[in-house]
Amino acid sequence: MKLQRTRTYECMCLLDNREVRKGWQPLKDAVTGLFTKHGAKILSSRRWDERRLAYAMRGQHRGTFLLVYFAVDTQGVAAIRRDLQFNEAVMRFLLVDCAEVPQTAYEPEAAFDVNAIPADDAPPPPPPAPPEEPMGVASSPETSTTEG
Amino acid sequence: MSMTSNGGGYGGSRDGGGRDGGRRGKFSRFGARRRLVLPEEPLDYKNVPYLAKFVSANGRIQSRKRTGFSGQNQRALAEAIKRARLIGLMPFVGRV
Repeated sequence: MKLQRTRTYECMCLLDNREVRKGWQPLKDAVTGLFTKHGAKILSSRRWDERRLAYAMRGQHRGTFLLVYFAVDTQGVAAIRRDLQFNEAVMRFLLVDCAEVPQTAYEPEAAFDVNAIPADDAPPPPPPAPPEEPMGVASSPETSTTEG
Repeated sequence: MSMTSNGGGYGGSRDGGGRDGGRRGKFSRFGARRRLVLPEEPLDYKNVPYLAKFVSANGRIQSRKRTGFSGQNQRALAEAIKRARLIGLMPFVGRV
């Protein structure tokens, strides 16, 4: 006999900007669909921010954060975690228990232009190597000695 | 000469007050001038600018002695910083 108990959770998903550029709304629907597939009721789903990451993940230096508040039976959390781990668009996620949904979560989501995402995903190029000097030039007696 | 006196330090029982010998104020863990600090903002993993104040230049979480937080708030601070690190909002090593 399984204990039926519904709780409210908060999930912060870090999405790959390469997938975000293909379209924000389809990606958002796909991610929230992972929750509703297991019987979750979406209370709020909105883009939290698009910012530079503290460290690179999958070669990406920037990412888009999707903040989802949902209510689900406690037995369904494991399945949601598993689906989030398998999803290619979700680089990281943080699923924590939430006592109550903040009022800011119900505010309408600001317009988001995926084309305005800075394109500095790629890691910075390595510094150019210094030009190689021919052997013996720097150590030749003509250049190293001074005539006085 | 026998070493029967228990002079100084922890563990004295001169006053019969237990392990600290009844001198808790003088030899307390954080000193006599310990102050209790309350967090000015919520200790949430999304509140990165505030959490960054409690991280050293190397990325280490400051001790309770430095933050002045209670045990409950210090645990909440550490949990929030670790969550922010996991999601990529704060670095594991280095400055924010």
